Amino acid sequence: MKENKNEFALQADQLCKQFAETYAVDDLSFEVSRGEIFGLLGPNGAGKTTTIRMALDIIKPTAGYIHPLGGPMSEAKKARIGYLPEERGLYDEMTVFDVLLFLGQLKELDRSTATQRVELYLQKVELWENRASKIQALSRGMRQKVQFVAATMHKPELIIVDEPFSGLDPLNTRLIKDLLYHLREQGATIILSTHQMQQVEEMCERILLLNQGRRVLYGQVGDIRRQFSGNTVEVDLLGELDQLPGVEQISQHNGAYRLVLTDDVAPEQVLKALVAKPNLQVRRFEQVQTSLDEIFVHVVSSQGQAA
Amino acid sequence: MKKLLLVALFTYKQRVRSGTFLLLTFRLPLIIVIGSAIPIFQELGGDLPRVGYVDQTGQLSPISLIDMGEDFLKRHRELVLNAFPTADSALSAADSGQISGYLLVPPDYFEGGRLVYYSDDAPNESLLDVLRRFLRQAMLPDASPDQLALLKDPLQVTYQSLQSGDSFSEGTALVIRIVLPAAMGIIIAFTLYANANLLGQAVVEEKEQRAMEMVITSMRTWQLVAGKVLGIAMLTVTQLIVWCLAAVLAIYLVLTLSSGPSQLAVPWDTLLWAFMLGAPTYLLYAILAAGLGIIAGDKKQAQQLAGNVGIFSMFPLWLTGIIIDTPNNALAVALTLFPLTSPIFAMFRMTLTEVPVYQLFLALGIILLCLLPSTWALTRIFRASMLLYGQRMTWKEVWKALKEAV
Repeated sequence: MKENKNEFALQADQLCKQFAETYAVDDLSFEVSRGEIFGLLGPNGAGKTTTIRMALDIIKPTAGYIHPLGGPMSEAKKARIGYLPEERGLYDEMTVFDVLLFLGQLKELDRSTATQRVELYLQKVELWENRASKIQALSRGMRQKVQFVAATMHKPELIIVDEPFSGLDPLNTRLIKDLLYHLREQGATIILSTHQMQQVEEMCERILLLNQGRRVLYGQVGDIRRQFSGNTVEVDLLGELDQLPGVEQISQHNGAYRLVLTDDVAPEQVLKALVAKPNLQVRRFEQVQTSLDEIFVHVVSSQGQAA
Repeated sequence: MKKLLLVALFTYKQRVRSGTFLLLTFRLPLIIVIGSAIPIFQELGGDLPRVGYVDQTGQLSPISLIDMGEDFLKRHRELVLNAFPTADSALSAADSGQISGYLLVPPDYFEGGRLVYYSDDAPNESLLDVLRRFLRQAMLPDASPDQLALLKDPLQVTYQSLQSGDSFSEGTALVIRIVLPAAMGIIIAFTLYANANLLGQAVVEEKEQRAMEMVITSMRTWQLVAGKVLGIAMLTVTQLIVWCLAAVLAIYLVLTLSSGPSQLAVPWDTLLWAFMLGAPTYLLYAILAAGLGIIAGDKKQAQQLAGNVGIFSMFPLWLTGIIIDTPNNALAVALTLFPLTSPIFAMFRMTLTEVPVYQLFLALGIILLCLLPSTWALTRIFRASMLLYGQRMTWKEVWKALKEAV
């Protein structure tokens, strides 16, 4: 396949991977556009890591294909991809500097450039002081940052990070997040595989939710949240609210009223009715959106029950 | 190729500074060098004791000055020996500290009577040499120093091979000619055994440390495997260099500071065959050990599995008996051609006979042929097992990996 800069950063079509009698990935199709931050979600064993490994040509698909950067994986392409695997591990008895220099050179950086990048990135992740420390002497969070540097120091076009924030404190989480944003600003595509829905909501434009190897949800984060949000509004007002036409249920939630509307009523109609009431003063009115976390739990557990 | 070399250098750097490697590399040579130097330093440590003798046979010529010859310690070129008429006078001299001991030559010495050396200290090798020279000189007072030297070692033979026509005239060179191949065989056997284990562990460490996924997304599987093998081979070469330097130093110490020939003839053809057969066999062992290391789940399992391969290198040491009388028997030839025992058996047979050159080339060809499928199989197994963190691959899975690749 001819490479084209305008094509997708990652494209899968009818992708399958079978281990013995089990399909780890089953008939999966999706695309990741260049320059976006894409969330790859799913419970444990959903097939996320298998999908990533097929994308990186670590394992071969049973059927279908998954192509990074506009075509099948090639040796030249490996230097244009960065990967932070879920399985964390580095060479314990070597120093931080030596390990990064080695991994940087494997990504086609010449020795002098690799040396410069190691210095620059270690300073960015606040590990320059630890450059001569052996990996085994580092804390879990520090090791993770070293691995993050190894995955990104060659300035890849496609970065796949599997649970990049696990084990990091809030400050380091912020640091890694900022580095990912910075890489995206420079044109990199980022595929973020994680269980941390809060990070996904904050960072990703689009997501793919896998369950039991199959695609369950796929699209813009906003669209998916709207799709799963019921006809519910939250109102913060002065005065007592008892009844409203078109409202099925009224409850109190964190000092505000949560109103469940009947299917035939639009939120705008309820707002008009509220404003028209002389004894009420509306301070806030918003449609309630279900969080990704809730969607995740809802979708995965309902699929589990169906199975 | 660049990535392969990077992995090789990284593997080398990773292990060359490890305590285990340093211990393995320097312990043996240190023992050899110190072992060869101790007797020499003992000799250099002080003057030979003043000794006397009592001749009760009455047939020995009176000797007071012993010619120690050119090859003995330079400062003991000539030594004084005190003659005493009776054992009592010698004993008095010893008691007064005039001499440290004396040799009693009994009246029946020439009929088989035994010599007795009286002293508080046991005689060392240098003193015994002095006494030997004294007796030779005292028995043959008219003989020249050359004749006396010849008497010391009358069999200075030249060995000429009927098959190759090569000849070796110096005694030590002949010994080297015989001993060196056997020594090479033993060195190859131990190197193969030790490094099979080392490589098995190096590969399983790669799995254990879970760095595999990051590395494998930057290079081809075979490059990683070959880089590991090359890195361990570089370690082996380092080890052999240290050992060879230690051997040279030990030989230098023995030859320079004590009696012995000043030059040795090096049998280059033996060394060449040792390398030509030893190097590819090393690779074959490395590949097998790496394969077993991959299958293993942890270091302990890797050591056990790699030990099974390493055992082949020890096999010839147990079978030396069968080739001593008939070095060209069918089993000896078969084991020379079998790739896992080839260099060791070839070297052992070279100590006893002229091994036909066609057999050596055939053995080399067989080893090289075995390298291709084993490298292929290793890459397949490596690929199938690399993500089985901490798990041992079952033989069924190994078979499946090989079958799927065909």
